[in-house]
Amino acid sequence: MKGGGGSRNATAGNETRLSRRWFRLLLRLYPAEFRDEMGDALVDTYVARARAARERGGLALAGVWSRALVDSLKNGLGERVSPAVAWRRSSGWGRDAQLVFRRLRRAPVFSLAILGTLTVGLGAFTVVYTLVHQVLIAPLPYEEPDDLYYVWRDYRAFFDLDRGWMAGTDVVELARAGGVIEDAVALRSGGFTLTGDTDERPTEIDVMLTTPNLFGVLGVEPSLGRGFAPDEGGEGAGDVIVLTRPLWNQLGGEEEILGRELRLDGYPFTVIGVLPEGFDFVRHSSLGAPSGAEAYIPFDYDLSTTSPGSGAFAGLIRVRDGTPGPAVEAAVAAVGRVVDERDFQDRGLEFYPVALKPDMVAGVEPALLVVGLAGVFLLLVLLVNLASLLLVRAVERENELAVSRALGANRMALMRATMLEGAVLGMAGGAAGAVAAIWATSAFVSLAPPDLPRLGQIAVDWRIGLTVAAVGLLLGLLAAALPAVWASRARLSRLLGASAVRGGGGHGRARRGMVVLQVALSLILLSAGGLVVRSFAELLRSRPGFDTEGILTLRVPIADAQSAEESEPRHEAIQRELARIPGVTAVGAVSGLPLAGGSDQTTIAVPGAPGNTGVQETDHPLVDYIQVRPGYVEAVGMRVLEGRTFAPQPPEGRREALVDDQVALQFFPGRSALGARIVVNGDSLEVIGVVGHARLYDVHEDGRPQVYLRNGGPTGYTSLSYAIRSTRDPESLAPEVRAAVAAVDPRLPVSDVRTMEDIVSASLSQQRVSAVLIAGFSLGALLLAAMGVFGVVAGSVTRRRHELALRLALGADHGRVLRHVLREGAVLIVLGLLLGAPGVYLGGRVIRSVLVGVSPWDPVTLGGVAVGLGAIALLACWLPARRVTGIEPSRLLREA
Amino acid sequence: MGMDRRRPPEAHLPLRPVEFQVLLSLASGDRHGYGILQDAGERGERIDVGTLYRALARMAERGWIAPAGGDADDERRNNYALTDYGLGIARAEAARLAGLMRAARRGGLLPETAT
Repeated sequence: MKGGGGSRNATAGNETRLSRRWFRLLLRLYPAEFRDEMGDALVDTYVARARAARERGGLALAGVWSRALVDSLKNGLGERVSPAVAWRRSSGWGRDAQLVFRRLRRAPVFSLAILGTLTVGLGAFTVVYTLVHQVLIAPLPYEEPDDLYYVWRDYRAFFDLDRGWMAGTDVVELARAGGVIEDAVALRSGGFTLTGDTDERPTEIDVMLTTPNLFGVLGVEPSLGRGFAPDEGGEGAGDVIVLTRPLWNQLGGEEEILGRELRLDGYPFTVIGVLPEGFDFVRHSSLGAPSGAEAYIPFDYDLSTTSPGSGAFAGLIRVRDGTPGPAVEAAVAAVGRVVDERDFQDRGLEFYPVALKPDMVAGVEPALLVVGLAGVFLLLVLLVNLASLLLVRAVERENELAVSRALGANRMALMRATMLEGAVLGMAGGAAGAVAAIWATSAFVSLAPPDLPRLGQIAVDWRIGLTVAAVGLLLGLLAAALPAVWASRARLSRLLGASAVRGGGGHGRARRGMVVLQVALSLILLSAGGLVVRSFAELLRSRPGFDTEGILTLRVPIADAQSAEESEPRHEAIQRELARIPGVTAVGAVSGLPLAGGSDQTTIAVPGAPGNTGVQETDHPLVDYIQVRPGYVEAVGMRVLEGRTFAPQPPEGRREALVDDQVALQFFPGRSALGARIVVNGDSLEVIGVVGHARLYDVHEDGRPQVYLRNGGPTGYTSLSYAIRSTRDPESLAPEVRAAVAAVDPRLPVSDVRTMEDIVSASLSQQRVSAVLIAGFSLGALLLAAMGVFGVVAGSVTRRRHELALRLALGADHGRVLRHVLREGAVLIVLGLLLGAPGVYLGGRVIRSVLVGVSPWDPVTLGGVAVGLGAIALLACWLPARRVTGIEPSRLLREA
Repeated sequence: MGMDRRRPPEAHLPLRPVEFQVLLSLASGDRHGYGILQDAGERGERIDVGTLYRALARMAERGWIAPAGGDADDERRNNYALTDYGLGIARAEAARLAGLMRAARRGGLLPETAT
C-alpha cells in the first residue's frame, strides 16, 4: 500500500519468508512422522492462506498467524496423543527405503544389470578374499602358532643346497639347547600299507613319524583317547598310533577303536587316540610340497643314534612365548655352530629358522597376492561402474529431483534417497555375491592345487558373507556419494534452462571422468591378465623332457620286503604282468616319477673327466639320483642322446649308470661320455648312456643334474612307481593294471593311479587357478568398461540429439555427425589408455614374480591388450553412436 | 486399509465434520489441501489446517481418498482424489444427513419445501 510496486513485492516476499519460517517452527509441535509425511503440504497451505489474508491487510495476516499457533497446539499435541495414522513407515529412512524399492522395481533392467554386475564382481572378490584370508591371514589352528618355527640346514658354504633336512642328532641338539627354544620335534613322513586285524583290502596311507612331543608342542589334544606319552618314542617303544579324524571315519568312526590293533606294513600298532576335527598339520619339506598324514606314530629308534651326516628329518621348534625373530635366529644359529663344529669339521654348515606360516605360504604367496590385487582392482572398476550407473539414474530423474527441490524437499532427503539406492543395491549385490561365492568357492576348491596350504579350510563362512555384504554396502555408498551430491544440487532453474540444449553439465564431466578411469583400470587389469595367461601358455608349451600323453602311472609299495634285493623279484613279475596287458608298448618303474616324486640327492665325482676344474665344489656337484627298472626311459619317453639304456637283465659284475645332458656337458664338453666312470655314493659306475633331463620339480625349468641307476642295490627302493605306455586311453587300463598287480600278490596295495597328464596338470594347478581367476577378472573389467563407455555415449547421444539434429539440418551428413560422436568417445578411450600406462608398468613389477617365460613388459602382450581394449571400447562407442543416423532433423526440431 | 475397505460404508457413520467436508470437496474433482479449505470456506465452513491434514492422513490411510496427480512417489503429494470406497461413504453420510433433514422438517425445525 505504501511505496512503489517493486518495494511492495519485496515486502510481500519478506513477509512470505517470515510466514514460512513461523509455520515451520509451529510444525515442530507435530510428531516427526507426521511432519515428514504431511509437513511440506501443511506449511504450503498455511503460506497460501497467509498470502490470501495479506490481501485483506495486516490484521488478517496476524489473525492467520495466531490461529495457526492455536491450531498447531491443538492438532500437534493431539497428533502426538492419538496419531491419525499408525505410522508404520516410522521414519524418513523407512519411507525412503520404501521409495527406493518401488523405484528399483520400476526399473528392472537397470536394477538387474547392477545386481548382476555386483553379484559377479563381489562373488569373484569373495572367492579371492576367502582364499587369501584362509591361506594367508587366518591364524593356524595351533596354540600360539607364531612361536612355531621349522629349522633347516644351509649347506651353501660347501655345496648348493640352502634348505636341507635336519639330521636326527640336530633335533636332539635343538631340544637340548634351552634358552628361548622350549622344545623341538623331529618329523618324517612315509607311505605305509594299512591292514586291519581282519583280512581287509590293503590300503596305502600317509603316516607321520614323529617324536612323542609333537601334539604337546602344537598345543593340540586328541579329541578321543590320548596323545603319545614321553616314553613312547625311541628304541622298541613305538607300537602306538594316533589317527586323524578322516582315517578314523574311514575305519568306522567308533569310539571302540581305542585299543584296537592296526597293522602298518604288517607290524601291529595299538590305536591310542583320535585327533580332533579340523586338525590339519603338514610336515614341510626341504624341497617340494609339504605333506600331510592320516596317522601319527612315534619313531622306533633313538634320534641320537642316527647319522649326523644325512639330513632326513623336518625339525620343528617352539620358542618361548613372544620371542622376537632375531632372537630365535640367534638361538638356532648357535645350535648350528655346535653341530657344524662337531659333525662337519667347521666347514660352515648353518641352521636357520623359518616361522611356520611364512614357510607354509611362501610358495603360494606371490600368486595369491597377485590374484588378491586383481580382486581389489575389479572392485575399483566395479565401484566406478556402479557410480556412473547411479549417476545416469540421477540424471534421468533430473526432472523429478529439480521439481522436488523447488517444492521444498530438503537437500538431505534427496541425498538420503540416492545414498539409500546405492546402499540397497550394494548390500543386495554383496549378499548375492556371497551366496554365489559359496558355490564358486567349492568349485574352486575342487580345482585348486592339492598342495595349497589349508585347502580343507577354504570355505565361505558367515563372517566372510557378512564382510562381503558390508563391502557391497560400502561400495554402494561410495558409488552413490557422487550422484547423491549431484542430485542434491539439482535446480529447477537449471533444468528449465537446460531443457533445450542439455548435457555438458557437471554430471557430464563426472561421467566422462569415470569412463577414463574405467578404461585406465581395465587396461591395468587386462594387462596383468594377458601376461598371466601368456605365461600359462608358455608353461603348457614347455617340454619337460618326457611325454605327457598316453602314459598311466601307479605306485606299488612292497611293504614286507626289508630291502630292494628282496622286493625286486616281485617288481620284476609285476612289470612282466603289466607288459602283457593288450595295447601296452612299454613299462618301466622308478623311485620317483617326474614332477611328483622328488628324489634323493648325493654328490658325484667323475675322476679323470676333461671337465674337471680342480675346484672341489664344482667337481663334486650335487645331483638327483633316480633309481629305475629297465624300460623306464622308454616308457616315459625320455630322449636317449647317446649310447643305450639299461638292458632287461643286469650284466654280470658291472654297475651301469645313465647321466643326463647336464652332467655330460659339465664333464665331457664336446665329447662322448660313454664308457666313463662316475662315482656315486662311493660306487664306481660305467656311463652307458646320456639321456635328456626329465624335469623332476617344475615343468618349466630344469632342476639339478641327474644320474639314473638300476634299482636294486643297498640304497634301492622297495616301493616303486610304474609308468605304462600304451596305444590305448591310459585311464582305461586301470582295472587291468590292478588285476595284474593282484595276480602277482593280492596283498599288495596299488596307489596313486593317475595319468602322466594328470601329474603335469596337478603341478600346474596353481598357475592354472591364477590364470583362470585373473583372466576372469580382466574379462569382467573389460565388460564393465565397455558398459561404461556404451552408457556414456548413449546418454550423450540422447541428450545432444537436438544439437546433433541441428548440425544435420545445417548440412552435415550423418557420417560426419557419427564421426563427431565417435571422436568424443575415442578421446576418452585414449585418455584412459594413457592414464593406465603407468599403472601397467607398476602392475608389471608386482606380477613379475609369477610370470614364467614372458617379460612383465612384453610388448606383444601389452600392445595387444591396449589395442584390443581400445577396439572393444570403440565398438561400445559405435553401437550407441549409430543412433545418430536415425535422427530425423525435421521431426526432432519440430518437437523441440 | 484393507481391513477398512471390507467394512460397509455405513459402518463409518457418522463422519467427523472435517471428513465430510473433505469428501464433499473431492466429490467434484481432485483438490489439494488448500483447495479443500477454500471449498469449505465457500460453504461457510472454517477448517483448521492442522485438523485438515490430520484428517487427510487418516483418510488416505483408510483408503477413502488417495494421493493423485502425477507420480505416486512424487515428493509433492498435495493433490487428493476420492476413491470409490470414499465416494460410497460420502453418499452414505449424505443420505444419513438427508434423513436427519427430513426428520428436522417433520419436527418443524426447518420449513417444509416442495420436492
